Amino acid sequence: MILPLLPLSHVFLGLMAIAWKASARATLIAALFVDIGLVTVAFSPAAHWLSSAVAGGWTDAIGIRLALDSLALDLLLLTVLLELAVVIYLWRQRLRPTFVILLQFLVGGVMALVLTQDLFNIYVILELLTLVSFLLVAYDRRTFQIWASLKYLILASVGMSVFLLGVAIVYANVGRLGFAAIERTVVGDPQAGWIPLAAALLVAGVSVKAGILTFSLWLPDAHSAAPAAISAFLSGLVIKMGVVVLIRLAGVFPLGSVLQILGAITGIGGAIYAMSSKDLKRMLAFHTLSQIGYLLIGMGAANEAAAKGVLAYALAHGSFKALLFLAAGVAYDVVGSTEITELIRARHRIPLRTRAALLLGTLAIIGLPPFDGYIAKAPLLAAAHGWGNQIILLLLGIGTAASFAKLLPLFKGPYRRVGNDPAWKSYVVLALPIALFLPIERALFGAAFILPVMDWIIAVESVAVVTTGLLVHRIYRRFTVRPSERLFRLEPGMFAILLGFVAIYLLLKLG
Amino acid sequence: MGWLSGMTIAMILFAIGTTALIVRKDLVVKLLALGLVNSSGILFLISIRFRPQMEAPILPVKTGLPIADPLPQALVLSAIVINFAILALSLVFVMLLVERYHSTDCGRIEHAVETEKATLGSQNLADDTLESEVQAADR
Repeated sequence: MILPLLPLSHVFLGLMAIAWKASARATLIAALFVDIGLVTVAFSPAAHWLSSAVAGGWTDAIGIRLALDSLALDLLLLTVLLELAVVIYLWRQRLRPTFVILLQFLVGGVMALVLTQDLFNIYVILELLTLVSFLLVAYDRRTFQIWASLKYLILASVGMSVFLLGVAIVYANVGRLGFAAIERTVVGDPQAGWIPLAAALLVAGVSVKAGILTFSLWLPDAHSAAPAAISAFLSGLVIKMGVVVLIRLAGVFPLGSVLQILGAITGIGGAIYAMSSKDLKRMLAFHTLSQIGYLLIGMGAANEAAAKGVLAYALAHGSFKALLFLAAGVAYDVVGSTEITELIRARHRIPLRTRAALLLGTLAIIGLPPFDGYIAKAPLLAAAHGWGNQIILLLLGIGTAASFAKLLPLFKGPYRRVGNDPAWKSYVVLALPIALFLPIERALFGAAFILPVMDWIIAVESVAVVTTGLLVHRIYRRFTVRPSERLFRLEPGMFAILLGFVAIYLLLKLG
Repeated sequence: MGWLSGMTIAMILFAIGTTALIVRKDLVVKLLALGLVNSSGILFLISIRFRPQMEAPILPVKTGLPIADPLPQALVLSAIVINFAILALSLVFVMLLVERYHSTDCGRIEHAVETEKATLGSQNLADDTLESEVQAADR
């Protein structure tokens, strides 16, 4: 019974930090050792005997099944990677014990969510993640953080209530909450009247947490207001938890083209707002939306290679988005602002290592060949059949490149040694997978999966997309019309959740 | 009155709660509405496997009637605790906002937060001598 240990160790260490405040820092290191140890065991060949278990020795009918499938392995790897980078990043700062406790609960919750196979357990863990990230976003108690965080809590809580209604309908018709049992019932009678309603409620509810437009209108504010290390965690990892639940739901319910439509809206919307954004952290937050679009398109393509591509891209996105957020945090500490024009003007004061980290993250996210953005994107591009998918993926790539073109002046000279970047070790931790992603991908998904990476047509296409993006940026910056930011207030966000639910329900019912 | 079951009441409560969340401007009213939405989810989950003339699933069994499904009733305990935590924490945050802005009006607070953020940025622009520094560096 090693699987429950992964999340529970964090709870124990968190409680230890409460009881014995001086040990707070030590528990972070202890948690890292435990996690690296347990994940190494999980990746070892001996892991097959722990691949699935019902916690607490209950029967399968009422117990909670934990399973270590490829989805869980992939995200556990990402969790440990980000945990390592963030702990190194935080090490130089004064850490209050409560902060450490919340961080422990956040990591523990993420691990529990990727392992669980039970619908109600997912509801509980998603709510736990909401509460913990709500407290972490507003940890510095600045007014805009408090407001962003409150907005997040209200919208996420409504979303989770919608999710709970879906859980109730599933339970009424299946009588169990495990995914295996639900799948059996759905396959037994795919035309049953309750399926579209339950699926629409579950998908709409979890979309609020997954960074999907137009459900997650809280995201740009919350992710840009949070402290840098927390932004890295939220954007790199916690937002993927909604995606994990969507992947599990897509494996059980016939969702059809819903995911592709959501992916197109999320990706294009996120990219357009990112192109218009003048603030670095806000732009990164909008790009979390646009990259979730990639994941949804891959899930909507519904074939095995695309499903693997989604996992690979989730891993890659976590690494470079965390790198960008951490480096943006250091740049903010130096310059005192995250306005892009301001950063460019003060670029000679930003340490060279910070600028190098920002450059590496930029090259990875726009998908240029040797880095993990491209290596993870190539199989996804090859596997997403259909001209609709291909066009949306191209537009997404162009939008990403066009918005990151704004950062390019930041990397111009003068290059002089100014100050030292205290966080450079965490950049190294994240830069390793960014630069050496090919062997990781090969080990996780097999040799056949990485063939599209070597395909020169896809490589040329990626470079062409980036070049087009740079041109689009030159044209777009002359425009003075910008999309309104009023959309991201509380009431529109609330309204959009209900409207989105109705739209998904109609799509599932009619299509 | 056959339509008046726990499920329909839950749907009505959910509709009232979400409408109030969108329409009413007062943050405290919004939180009350949030509580209503969350409670409606709980009521829905309990009543989904419950029919009238069923006995509550508490030992010892008194009557010979069929017993309601105990699992949803166990599940809602966690949901109730979570909703309590959410309401308590968000009330604390509303309190912090009220202390700072002396208002519970959502639109006013939103406006104040946005202007505060905007002036924060321009302050940096004003009291920083970056432009001259860059020019000096270029020379």
